[in-house]
Order: sequence, then C-alpha cells, then structure tokens
Amino acid sequence: MVRAVRVRLFATARLAVGRATLDWPVAESGVSARELVAALGAAYPRLAPTLRVSRFLRNDRYLSDLTTRLRAGDEFAVHPPYGGG
Amino acid sequence: MVVRLSRRPLSVASAEARLARSPGGASVVFAGRVRADLRHGSRVVALDYEVDLGPALRQLRRIERTARRRFRTVDLVLWHRLGRVAVGEVAVVAGASCAHRAEAFRAARYLIDELKATVPIWKEERGRPLRRPRRRPARRGGRTAG
Repeated sequence: MVRAVRVRLFATARLAVGRATLDWPVAESGVSARELVAALGAAYPRLAPTLRVSRFLRNDRYLSDLTTRLRAGDEFAVHPPYGGG
Repeated sequence: MVVRLSRRPLSVASAEARLARSPGGASVVFAGRVRADLRHGSRVVALDYEVDLGPALRQLRRIERTARRRFRTVDLVLWHRLGRVAVGEVAVVAGASCAHRAEAFRAARYLIDELKATVPIWKEERGRPLRRPRRRPARRGGRTAG
C-alpha cells in the first residue's frame, strides 16, 4: 500500500500540472507543508509561480504555518488567488 | 437558503422575494452577470466556475455570521453559480435586508467583497475567436478622380 498525501489542485495550479489530484508518497514521519511545497515546485516548474501566491489547506483547514506536518492519508489543497463573482 | 452554491440558474427575483418577507425596512440586492469581454482576439462566451466545496461553504457561513453581527442584518442571501455560466447569466447574488438603507448598502457591499476575496471559487474564461472582417476584392484599374 502506497503511503501518500493526496494533493488537490485548483484553477491555475491544476492547469500547470495537468491534473486535479496527485498522490505524493511520504515517509512514516511525514513531511512539512514547506517541504511538500518545495518538492511540488521542483517536480512541476510551471506550478512554482502559482505556489508562491497560493494558500494551503490541510484536511480542509487553512494553514497559517508551513511547519505543519503532513502524514499519509492527509489531504493538502493548493488554492491560487480566488476569483469568484 | 441563506448561502448557496448551485449549478442551476440563480433567480434575482427569488432573492428579492426572500428579503421582502423579512421585517427589515430596507433591502439591497447585488447581481453579478457574466460579461462578453474581449480577450486576445476572442470574445468571452461563458465562464467555468470551480470550487473547493467544503472550505467554500464554511467561509460563506462565516461571512453570513459576520454580516449579521456587524450590520444588524435581518436577513441576507449569498449565492454563487458553479460550472459553466453563459454571458448574461447571473453568476452571483449578494443581498441584505436591514432596518435602514445605509446598513443594507454596507452589508450588501461587504457580502460581495468578502465573497470575492475569501471564498475558494475560481473562474476560467471560455471564448470564441472574433471573425476577421472580410476584405473587399480589389477593383480593377482603381478609381480615379475627375
């Protein structure tokens, strides 16, 4: 069984990667949100500019601190700037 | 329903009717429609709206609670369309009913501004290329004065 964080991508983040979700494998000890953001930017260079202006959520809750650890089974959402209305 | 995210058309008349039933003396309803903007040689024909549903609903309810407290809002509506919305259709409705007009205007303004800034909804334009004007065939010999 793959131990992974489910990454959910919206709007320009989804367009940059070409898909709405990614399963990102993580070690037993997990990964910090900051480490995951850096790894995503390195794996998908077109995503990097969007990551710099995005907000992030863990299990539907906004992260105010990117030192938060993510573990297998967590969801991590990337929210580019909002554009409703 | 006070807050709503819907794939079906939004009715401004329904929003007005709801607020008219409230005991407030003043109601203001803002409706935002999709514009046929020009973009890089094409005309917008629709917008595709995308949402992160759980956080969006939670944020809409937070805006509702704040508006009720801050503007003594008697009732309100805060609705947004999802999916494809054609030019001319209503994409968002934000309305407030209060005791007096000043609060009602402020509350409606707060509702739409907060929605746009803080609710995880995104739009993507769908366009149609503009037709280039046909060139008239050149006249033989040209035209001369006289």
